[in-house]
Amino acid sequence: MTQPLLQLRDLHKHFRLPAAPFAPKPVLRAVDGVDLDLMKGETLGLVGESGCGKSTLARTVIRLHEPTSGSIVFDGQEVGKAPEGLLGNFRRRVQMIFQDPYASLNPRMSVGDLIAEPLEIAGVGTAAERRKKVTGLLDRVGLPSDSAQRFAHEFSGGQRQRIGIARAIALEPDLVICDEPISALDVSVQAQVVNMLEDLQADLGLTYLFITHDLSMVRHISDRIGVMYLGKIVELASSADLYHRPSHPYTRALLSAIPVPDPEAGRAAEPMQGEIPSPIDIPSGCRFRTRCPLATELCARQEPQLTDIGGGHLAACHFAGELAQQANGVRAPLQERVQ
Amino acid sequence: MTDISPEMWAKVPAAEKVTPVAPPAPTYGQEVRRRLWANKPAVVSIVFIILLVIAAFFGPYLSPHTYYKQDLKLANIPPFFETYAVTDGAGETTRFFLNASNFNLYEVDAEGNMLGLLRGGRKDMIKKSQPYEFGDQTLTLDYSKLPVRLLLEDGSEVRPSGWSWNKTYLFGTDQLGRDILVRQLYGAQISLTVAFVATLVNFFIGVFYGGIAGYMGGKVDAVMMRFVEIISTIPLTLYVVLLMVVFDSGLLSIIVAIGSVFWVDMARIVRGQILSLKSQDYVAAARTMGASPARILTRHLLPNSIGPIIVTLTMLIPSAIFIESFMSFIGLGVTPPLASWGSLTSEAVETLRAYPHQLFFPAAAISLTMFAFNFLGDGLRDALDPRVGR
Repeated sequence: MTQPLLQLRDLHKHFRLPAAPFAPKPVLRAVDGVDLDLMKGETLGLVGESGCGKSTLARTVIRLHEPTSGSIVFDGQEVGKAPEGLLGNFRRRVQMIFQDPYASLNPRMSVGDLIAEPLEIAGVGTAAERRKKVTGLLDRVGLPSDSAQRFAHEFSGGQRQRIGIARAIALEPDLVICDEPISALDVSVQAQVVNMLEDLQADLGLTYLFITHDLSMVRHISDRIGVMYLGKIVELASSADLYHRPSHPYTRALLSAIPVPDPEAGRAAEPMQGEIPSPIDIPSGCRFRTRCPLATELCARQEPQLTDIGGGHLAACHFAGELAQQANGVRAPLQERVQ
Repeated sequence: MTDISPEMWAKVPAAEKVTPVAPPAPTYGQEVRRRLWANKPAVVSIVFIILLVIAAFFGPYLSPHTYYKQDLKLANIPPFFETYAVTDGAGETTRFFLNASNFNLYEVDAEGNMLGLLRGGRKDMIKKSQPYEFGDQTLTLDYSKLPVRLLLEDGSEVRPSGWSWNKTYLFGTDQLGRDILVRQLYGAQISLTVAFVATLVNFFIGVFYGGIAGYMGGKVDAVMMRFVEIISTIPLTLYVVLLMVVFDSGLLSIIVAIGSVFWVDMARIVRGQILSLKSQDYVAAARTMGASPARILTRHLLPNSIGPIIVTLTMLIPSAIFIESFMSFIGLGVTPPLASWGSLTSEAVETLRAYPHQLFFPAAAISLTMFAFNFLGDGLRDALDPRVGR
């Protein structure tokens, strides 16, 4: 097997919250031990509820947050602890597309300056060459070339996200981290943007870490999908396999929550109970047990590890094997629903 | 109804691919200008400030007077006066006015130009009167009781024949006979110079200090802002007075004093802005590209806080003018014979009852200028706020 492009090992990101003086500061464990391998050229979708730590994971991987512990290996090089000054190559080869196309573009810079900024920082070409490159990039993301003189606020949400994408691919990176790039967009625009991302991937050989909470879109774009819950990956499988054999009760609950455009379909089979527990006070044992319909005394005692249940399908549940078996037969209606 | 021939209803041939042409959206600058232009007080203020600056720096060259030349014979002349006309036996008319506060008669011509002080006869100290001879006419100035009266030989009172503006000294003269208008223009030069230089110093120190505190955050920010708080708990005027005592009084030390203290407001504003802006996604985006802190600060954070910075600057100008005037007023300001608005008012206050015009003009200048800068600051704040009127 070739070496993965990005390798996360036991990655933690904890935040210390402010507290009264001399009181112990509560620790928010946003990312709490993530192992992940990302192969070159693949798209790994990462799904989960709000607050499960997927955005924090993205921001830790790209070193907007300092990881608390664990390692980030990019193309064979440890970048998790490298000081900012030594990250030059990493900064060039890893780019990010942000969720909010309104907040991620500096309102005081023209679109041309925005797209040229990564080139300028990396010291690529002369000003004239950069201008030419910007025109090419604008064309590539389907914006008129006179956009360069305009400002971001003159564009619609979808167009702004195209600007963000043009900026992210300006340096022809290897890895692009997409932090919910479509969730702020109109449904009609989402498909265009996703298709464009796929075209760019094919043309430039990009690798995507695609974070979203849109379960139907993630299936469309991803080769593999990871499901995150409370700072940990609870299930990781190829896209088809995950929908075919969901082997973690949380995944099953998520999939059953996908709305079905059919008024006759009735309620989801396994509605999830309650709220996501606070990442400050993570339940003992299995972190999903407080909401799990299958929870037993074993789950409270022992935290299940991410184990292979066959065919590279990883799940972190004591009952993953049984669930997978079950899914082959009983889950058939669910698969129809998600299609 | 007009007849429309059937062929005009024919379909227009499908044109070559039409590219929709959007009207160019107004740029941010155009928007700001439009909103500022709609704010009448701000426009009036801009015009006033421009005129003031032009007058302050070019006005003195147009005047025949200088700010230091004294003419004690023509001291305390008001800007307008009631004229008397006396015709002597030879048919020559002498026009003059009576300065009711120092009991002098000044000769003027019909247009109101000052010709000089009229020499009277010997003062009668007992009857408190002084004779003035005009050919065969003799007028007696009787100041035994107020108001002062001018009497003819037969004892009847002379009435003023009209009133006139002072054409030689438009704003009158001070107690040393110096032209108030020119002194005030020089004062404007000094006040405006102090204000602009001090504001510029504030700008650089405040933006630099606040920018670093806001960007670094955490402990650095805490320590830096506590220092700012220490400075700002000392009453600024007291601090400036102390600084002025340590340095010599003079233009430079006023600028140093104001500049070294007033930046705390600017630092606070900038720090607050940076603090709220640095969590924006576009800053995160710049960091993922590997932008240096200096670049993030200068290209992303400061340009986005330019609105509050400009507003704070325009608001700092009037307070700097006021502090300078106050310093000069209490005698710590510019050295005589240089004038600033503050020293003009403080000199005028001594003779306020007799010659209110000496106080009126510099006081009006201070007030109007402060109004103008405040209105302009308000207008700029509204105009630069992108949330308004979009």
